[in-house]
Amino acid sequence: MIKPDKFVPYLYLLPALVFLLLVYIPIFQNIGDSMYNWSTFSPDKAFVGMDNYFTLFKDPVFYEALKNNILYAVISIVFQVFGGLIIAAVLEDKLIRKFSPIFRTVYFLPVVVSMTVIALLFSFFYNPEVGLLNQFLKMIGLNNLALPWLGDSETAIYAVIAVSQWQSIGYIAMLYIVSIQKISPELYEAAEMDGANKIKTFFHITVPATKEMTFVAVILTLTGAFTVFNEPYILTGGGPGTSSEVLSTYLYKTAFSKDMMGYASAIATVILIITLLISLVQMKIFKTGKED
Amino acid sequence: MRKTKLIFASFLSLSLMLGGCSGERTSSESDVGKTTLTFFHRWPKEPEKTYFNEVVKEFEKQNPDIHIKTEAVLNDSYKDKIKVMTGTNNPPDIYFSWSDEFASQFVRGDKALDLTSYYKNDPTWSSQLVPSQVKPYTFNDKVYGVPVTMDGKMFFYNKDVFEKLNIHPPKTWNDFIDVLKVLKKNNYTALQFGSQDTWTISHYVGTLNQRLVSPEVLAMDYNRKTGKFKDDDYIKALEKFQELLPYFNENTNSIDHEYARQQFSNGKAPMFYAETAEIKLFGPTKFELGMFNFPEVEGGKGNQTNLTGSPEGFMVSSKTKHPKEAMEFLKFLTTKHMGEKLVTDVGKYSAVKGTVNENNSSPEQLEAVQSILNTKEMAPWFDMSIDARIADAYLTGTQMMLNGDKTPKQIMRDVQKAADTVRFEAGK
Repeated sequence: MIKPDKFVPYLYLLPALVFLLLVYIPIFQNIGDSMYNWSTFSPDKAFVGMDNYFTLFKDPVFYEALKNNILYAVISIVFQVFGGLIIAAVLEDKLIRKFSPIFRTVYFLPVVVSMTVIALLFSFFYNPEVGLLNQFLKMIGLNNLALPWLGDSETAIYAVIAVSQWQSIGYIAMLYIVSIQKISPELYEAAEMDGANKIKTFFHITVPATKEMTFVAVILTLTGAFTVFNEPYILTGGGPGTSSEVLSTYLYKTAFSKDMMGYASAIATVILIITLLISLVQMKIFKTGKED
Repeated sequence: MRKTKLIFASFLSLSLMLGGCSGERTSSESDVGKTTLTFFHRWPKEPEKTYFNEVVKEFEKQNPDIHIKTEAVLNDSYKDKIKVMTGTNNPPDIYFSWSDEFASQFVRGDKALDLTSYYKNDPTWSSQLVPSQVKPYTFNDKVYGVPVTMDGKMFFYNKDVFEKLNIHPPKTWNDFIDVLKVLKKNNYTALQFGSQDTWTISHYVGTLNQRLVSPEVLAMDYNRKTGKFKDDDYIKALEKFQELLPYFNENTNSIDHEYARQQFSNGKAPMFYAETAEIKLFGPTKFELGMFNFPEVEGGKGNQTNLTGSPEGFMVSSKTKHPKEAMEFLKFLTTKHMGEKLVTDVGKYSAVKGTVNENNSSPEQLEAVQSILNTKEMAPWFDMSIDARIADAYLTGTQMMLNGDKTPKQIMRDVQKAADTVRFEAGK
C-alpha cells in the first residue's frame, strides 16, 4: 500500500507542467516578442512597445486577411455545421439506413487524405484550360462560368474555401451521426404518430437533441476557419496579389519570407485574441457542459 | 517512498531529455569517430536529388572519415527555412544560396564563412571556375560562396512557326511587339506565361528595369541603405510589361510555370521566356528550338545587352566546426568530373570551365552557354537582388496588375513605402 507522500502530488502535476512548458510559455513569449523589432539575422532586438500593433491596425493587407477569415468562418458554419447535420440526418433516416455505411465512408474519405495532396489535386481541378471543373462547365454549356478560379482576385478565396468544405463536411457529419444515434428512437416514433413530417421532426427533435454536438462543431469550424493555413498556402499562396491571404498565411509570409519576426508575433497575438474571444462567447451562448 | 522518488527522478530526467534533444542532435553523431557535415540544398526532386546523393556517396567513399547528412526542401520553402536554420545555434555546415542580395544577407548577419583564403591557397581549383560566376558571391572583395551552376534567362521560340510566318527573332522592343502582333493575327497565343508563382514575374520586371533604368539609379535603389525607387523609369518599365498583356495566354495568374513550359514544348505557343537550364526540361520538341536575348528597348536609359541570370551555389556556415572538410566537399563538387556529371545528369550548366561540351549537350545547350559566357555583364535575378520586403510589394502588386487590379503607379507607391521601411532599418 502506498502511503501518502509529499512528492506524489507533484508527480501527478508533471504532465501539466510539461504542457505548461510546451504550450503556455511560448504563447507568453510571443506576446513579449511582438513588442520588439527583430529578425533571424540580427540577434539584437529593438524595443518598440505597441508600435507593431499600431502598424498592424493600419495595414490594409491585415484587413483583407481578416475579411477572408471571416468569410471562411461564415461559409464553413453554413456548409459544414448545417450541411453536416443535414447529411447526418439523411444518412440516419430509416429509409436509407441500409446503405448509409457506404455513404458514410464516401463522405468521410476526404478527411483521411492529407490536405497537401488534396490541395495539389484541386489545383489541377481548377486549372482554367485543362481542369476538370471548367471542362465540365463548358461541356454543359456554361461557358460564362468557366472562370480562372484561382487566378482571379474575385474568385480565388471562394475557390479555396470550397476545397475546405469538401474536405471537412464528412468529419462534422460523422460527429452528428454519433450524436443522432444517441437520440432515443421513441421520440421519433411518437412524433410520427402525432403526424409530424420528416422536416418537422428534424427541426423539433434532431436539432435540439444534438445541441451539444453543434457547440463542438461550431467551435471546431470557427477556430479552424481562423487558423486555416494549408489550403490557401498551397492553392494560391495568398495570391493573386493579396486577394486570398488569410491571417495565418500573412503571418507566415511576414515571419519567414519578409523576416519581420516582431510584426509576425503581433499578428499571432491578434489571432490568439480572436480565437479566445470566439470560444468565450460561444461558451456563454451555448452554456455548455450542462447536458440537459 | 524511495520508489516514488526514483520514479520522480526518472520522470524528471526524461522530461529534461525531451527538452534538450532538439538542440543536441548532431553531437551524438560525432561520437562514432567520424566528422559529420550537414548539407542543406533545395532539390528534393529529380534529377538533382539523385545527382547530389551520388556526389555525396562518391565523396564519402574517397573520404571514409567524413559523413555527410543531406537535407533538402523545395524552392520557395527553402527561402524561408534557411533563414530560420541559420538563425539557430545549429545551422547546416554547407547550405545552398542564390547569389547577390540573397547571399549578402547571410554575410551581413555573419552567418557565412569567408572563403577567400581557400580560393587563394588552391589556385588550380579556383582558376577553373568561371570568374563571372564567382563575382556574385563576392562582397567587399571577399568571396563567400562557391558557384555550382550558371544560368541565364532568354526568349525561346518555335523556329518552324517563325519560318512559316516569315518573321525573325526581334532585336528591339518595337520589333518584338511587331512579331507578337503577327503571331496574334495568325491566331497564335503569342507568348506563354504562368504567373501563379511570383518569381516568374520578377524575371520580366527585373529585366525591364535593367533596360529602362539607368545603372546608377539601379545601383542606388537596389542597395538597402539608399533604395527609394522614386524614378519614373520604374513606372515606364511596368508599362512596357503591360504592353505584353494582350499577347499572353489568358489567365496567366492561374497557371504555374511548369504548366506554361509544357504548353510551349508541346507547340501550343510559339514563344516562352525561360531559363537556359530548362532546355533539357523541354524534352525532345517536335519543332526546332531557337533563342534570343531580351530585346533592347528604344530610348531606355539602362544597359541594353545585359543577360538576366545568376549562378547558384553553396556557402559554408560561419559556425561550422569543420570548415576544412566542408571546403573539401565543395571543391569535390566543383571538380571537372562532377561538373560534367551535372551537365549530363541534370542538364544544368556547371560553373566549372569546359564542362559543357559536345559529348553531353545539345547544340541549343551549347548556344545557351555561349551566350552566358559571352555576356559582358549578368543582371542577377530581380527578387534575389533586392530586400524580400520590397520584392514582395513589387511582385504581388504586379501580379494584381496582370489581373487589371492595380496600375504601375499604385505598385510603385507600395514599393516606395516598403523601400522606406527597409532603408530606415538598414540605416540604424
